[in-house]
Amino acid sequence: MENQQQESPTVTPLPVRMVAVIDIGTSAIRMAIAEINIENNIRILEHLSQALNLGQDAFTLGYIQRSTIEECVAVLQDYQRVLVEYQINDPSQMRVVTTSAVREAENQLAFLDRIYIATGIEVEVIEEAEVSRITYLGIQPQLTSSNQIARTQLICEVGGGNTEVLLVQENSVPFSKTYPLGSLRLRQRLKASGTPTKKMRDMMENRIGHIVDQVGNHVPQEDSLDIVAIGGDVRLAAKQILPQWTGHSIEAVPVEALAELTNVILEMPVDEVARNYNISDADAQTLAPALLTHVRLARAFDLENIYVSNTNLRDGLLQEMASKESWPEEFRKQIVGSVLELGRKFNFDEAHALQVAHLAQTLFQEMLPEHKLDPHYETIIYLAALLHEIGLFVDERGYHKHTMYLIRNSELFGLGKTNLLLVALVARYHRRASPQPKHDGYDQLNRHQRIVVSKLAAMLRVAVAMDASRSQRIGQLTCHRKAKNLVISTPDVTDLSMEQVALQENAGLFEEVFGIPVQLSTDRGL
Amino acid sequence: MKTDQTHFFNRELSWLEFNQRVLDEAISNQVPVLERIKFLAITASNLDEFFKVRVGGLQMLLQEGSHRKDPAGMTPQEQLTAITARVEKMLADQYQVLLNEVEPSLAEQGITRAHFETLSADQVNYVENLFRNEILSIATPMGISSDSVCPLIPESTIHLAVRIRTEDDDAPERMAIIPLSQPIPRFITLVGQGGYHYILSEDIAKQFAGEFFPEQEIIECTPFRITRNADLSVREDLAHDLLSQMEEIIDARKESACARLELDHGASEDMVQLLTEFFDVTPSSIFHINGPLALADWMQLAQTQGFDELKDEPWPSQDSPEIDLSESIFAQIAERDVLLHHPYDSYEPVVRFVEEAADDPDVLSIKQTLYRTSSNSPIIRALARAAQNGKYVTALLELKARFDEARNIEWARSLEKAGVQVIYGVKGFKTHSKVCLVTRREPEGIRRYMHFGTGNYNESTARLYTDISYFTADATLGQDTSSLFNAISGFTMVTGLEKLTASPLSLRQFFLDAIENEIAQQTRGKQGHIRAKLNSLLDKKIIKALYNASQQGVKIELNVRGICCLKPGIAGLSENIRVISIVDRYLEHARIYEFSNGGKPMVAISSADWMSRNLDRRVELLIPVEDPNAKQRLSQILDVCMADNVKGKELQANGSYHSPAQSNLEVRAQATFYQESVEQVKLANRSRPTHFEPFRAPETSS
Repeated sequence: MENQQQESPTVTPLPVRMVAVIDIGTSAIRMAIAEINIENNIRILEHLSQALNLGQDAFTLGYIQRSTIEECVAVLQDYQRVLVEYQINDPSQMRVVTTSAVREAENQLAFLDRIYIATGIEVEVIEEAEVSRITYLGIQPQLTSSNQIARTQLICEVGGGNTEVLLVQENSVPFSKTYPLGSLRLRQRLKASGTPTKKMRDMMENRIGHIVDQVGNHVPQEDSLDIVAIGGDVRLAAKQILPQWTGHSIEAVPVEALAELTNVILEMPVDEVARNYNISDADAQTLAPALLTHVRLARAFDLENIYVSNTNLRDGLLQEMASKESWPEEFRKQIVGSVLELGRKFNFDEAHALQVAHLAQTLFQEMLPEHKLDPHYETIIYLAALLHEIGLFVDERGYHKHTMYLIRNSELFGLGKTNLLLVALVARYHRRASPQPKHDGYDQLNRHQRIVVSKLAAMLRVAVAMDASRSQRIGQLTCHRKAKNLVISTPDVTDLSMEQVALQENAGLFEEVFGIPVQLSTDRGL
Repeated sequence: MKTDQTHFFNRELSWLEFNQRVLDEAISNQVPVLERIKFLAITASNLDEFFKVRVGGLQMLLQEGSHRKDPAGMTPQEQLTAITARVEKMLADQYQVLLNEVEPSLAEQGITRAHFETLSADQVNYVENLFRNEILSIATPMGISSDSVCPLIPESTIHLAVRIRTEDDDAPERMAIIPLSQPIPRFITLVGQGGYHYILSEDIAKQFAGEFFPEQEIIECTPFRITRNADLSVREDLAHDLLSQMEEIIDARKESACARLELDHGASEDMVQLLTEFFDVTPSSIFHINGPLALADWMQLAQTQGFDELKDEPWPSQDSPEIDLSESIFAQIAERDVLLHHPYDSYEPVVRFVEEAADDPDVLSIKQTLYRTSSNSPIIRALARAAQNGKYVTALLELKARFDEARNIEWARSLEKAGVQVIYGVKGFKTHSKVCLVTRREPEGIRRYMHFGTGNYNESTARLYTDISYFTADATLGQDTSSLFNAISGFTMVTGLEKLTASPLSLRQFFLDAIENEIAQQTRGKQGHIRAKLNSLLDKKIIKALYNASQQGVKIELNVRGICCLKPGIAGLSENIRVISIVDRYLEHARIYEFSNGGKPMVAISSADWMSRNLDRRVELLIPVEDPNAKQRLSQILDVCMADNVKGKELQANGSYHSPAQSNLEVRAQATFYQESVEQVKLANRSRPTHFEPFRAPETSS
């Protein structure tokens, strides 16, 4: 009998992923809803924003008031109604993050718990370095497509709590820093110290001057440097100065026009700023200090124009979701660039480091069925491999511990504290003692992270052994299980005795972690 | 030239001139006689609303002691005096037409209003019985005196004021009021020989009024009606529950101050005195009517079945070839934008747009604004069905839509019951924009479909008002529309809109910038040209900007149906401005704006007039029309409207309206549009190949 299938009204399956990102910022809660197609292209469908002055609580009181928490709950509940409309109901379709205000609030946990209880939403508190990384992810497509800006760019975002600066040179990020001076924090501090209105501008200039000086010290003075400013304040200013700007591309704004507008806004009472520009009181408070910071930075670099981009943290979060949580290649290159800079600073053996990193990465890929780790840990092992010997710069004795210290105290673009610690620990455990719960740093990890470190360190030790000759003679390798062993084969050399000896010394942790012995063999001529 | 108060017409007097133009249609013997009755009824109904809202408002200002002058330099007192004088003249014209022209003409055609004294014996018997069964048993007289508490006299309906005396000569004279409100019909059909003969209920009640007061003598019996001030609004800053507070306002209107007293011209001075004191009206609010009151009721007569030869030839709405109702509307809009000109093009596609969305499994959400809708709205039924089908439905039902509050409250409750998320409007602003947004998932991702209109979502008035519908799936307009709904739903602060312009945010500035841009074009040697079709032009800043543009040589052509405070044709001020007003079979209602923009015209439709209330106190939308065909059609509509020399009248510098100089070619815009729509359908049918679609028995599977 033929299959009698009745035709029934069917709902077209979604050919795209519907996702949402929510950013609980210092002065507003913002949401973007987007669809991501199979080619990972993002199309934003909704932008929502509601003013909420979390920063005012956090920066003046040190905690977030109960009433503010409830306002935050109400906004998120509003947003949930919009999410229902787009049938976004699975936590995997959403990412909700918060930045400096909640990060600095004493009652951070109470805040997060209340939000979870009232809305079921898990809010992720993201660290400064993570913010930089995500911001870069967001702006990177615009930087690539713009041919009008210089090849060295200083990306500046004056947020409510912090000012974030990234130096992009030849598609790498050699320097990034987050300064604890944001527009709202600045205004609150001046208010708290009772600065009279007339003196407000002088005091702002003074504080901003310190930051600008620091940026000047960190960033090389180059003729061909452009500032790319991002953030709601500078975006609003750009729209005032260039009414035709649609925000789809990076646009040059004359610094003089920006300075003029800043002067006008500085003279206005905050309520008038809110009324004139149709913005919330919270945004009105931050406008003048933020613009002043941009103007001062532009003048410090003798620029006639600054470039303004419409991108924001949410764009970066969406990019990350588009790349299915693994770090996109371009971003990976950025981190590697800054890690290599760090290695060179400590005179590392670059060829060996790159070779070990390559081998470690190949092992990570070959051993996926064994270690079952998320794709982004591939970057962690790669970075740890690049830096595993930098401790030699301090002293050969116990250099692996020096390595760990140096990494932990570096500012590596895009790596948050947790990821930085992971890199440091994996590098530390490339030799000598296996990880111990009492070890400094390792004791801060949760169980999953401890397992990650052990697995990565075990693989790194194998990779180090494979370039024991320091001649980079092994390029290719494959892994397969043979009997109860994991066999690593390479077609590159026939005599592997040096590597085999080294592996014998280094394979202990591997056996401990994966429960199988590892062997090295040549498959040349087979 | 600097503008001053002599450069503006007063808005109330300008509105009265609009009503005069409607009355001119009733006066014109070129118009079929039942249509003349219709126009008379419209002028009366318009005046009722004018007194409720505008005169009521001015009287309140006067009571508050306001001497604030309007842009034309008139105080509230001066305006009220001028209004009274103008209305007296208009009433005289109305009744002259009714009594001396239209009624005799109708009588010739067999439609007669009977007077009691001319009834036959059978007819007298009939109306006497009717009085006893349908009036005496329903109407309850209310005794009143100048020191008694005022009973609740409903406004607008006819009442009889009766002075009575008992047989006891020493007893004082008394006064009573007999309401003749629903369910007592106003027009009572009489049995006659052919034709249609009727008598008014108040004429019967007056005749038999003695039966209400047995053993008492009726000294005088006079029909009258009052109009109450309806210019009351909710204190929105204090409103926690808008729905229940709107209900309070509706109740409060029933007792608000009396803005007008109309009574039969035969009333004695004593009667006038009594009613004046009783309703606390000033002499200037009293109108002595030489004929039947409440001419608005004559609309019922105009719509009498039959007598087609006394009515306009019908102009049935056409199924526009732009959209095929046998195919999915969404598929067609995805392919191209569609512009419809109602009522020449049928309104059915608008209804179908919402109905199809309600039943389409791929539709995720429907969001719609509703300002005024019909009593049995298929659109509202579709929204309720969509919600029941599990779609996310948002309806912004404006509770503050004047005189539609009660209906909207009812709709709000029934929609909420069906699961629709109902928003009662936005605090501080009336949402007047007309937009429906449908979000649909498709193989390529989310797609948004919009209907933008210049008229309300009311399929009944869509047959009588000229309006534009614009369907589009433009992604940017979709994003803007979605942002707007999120903003008015309170989910987000208003963010920048890319293509749409909305009031109260930026619409005024948009218009001012566009006018300024025409001046800039003019100074660059290109001819600046502005054309606008709208209902009212009052906004002082816009008028000043237009004067300025005219002085710089920009050509300005305005098609303003109603109030126009701008004075055209004044040398050195506005000699480059022409204003035409069309009053014809349909109520001109579309708003179209066109700026030549140096040869790259910007054409848009809007829900907004150039009035301060639209630009500052309402949520309105301006939608740029980018599709070349749609844009061209809008430009052609403007061409034809500006060329109308049959029903179009040109505003003069002194405020009067004259027929434009006749050219060889007579142009009647509404007739032209109707003919065009018929031609388009014919053309489309001719170019469509004949294709037989047989009905077959359903296939059975083996």
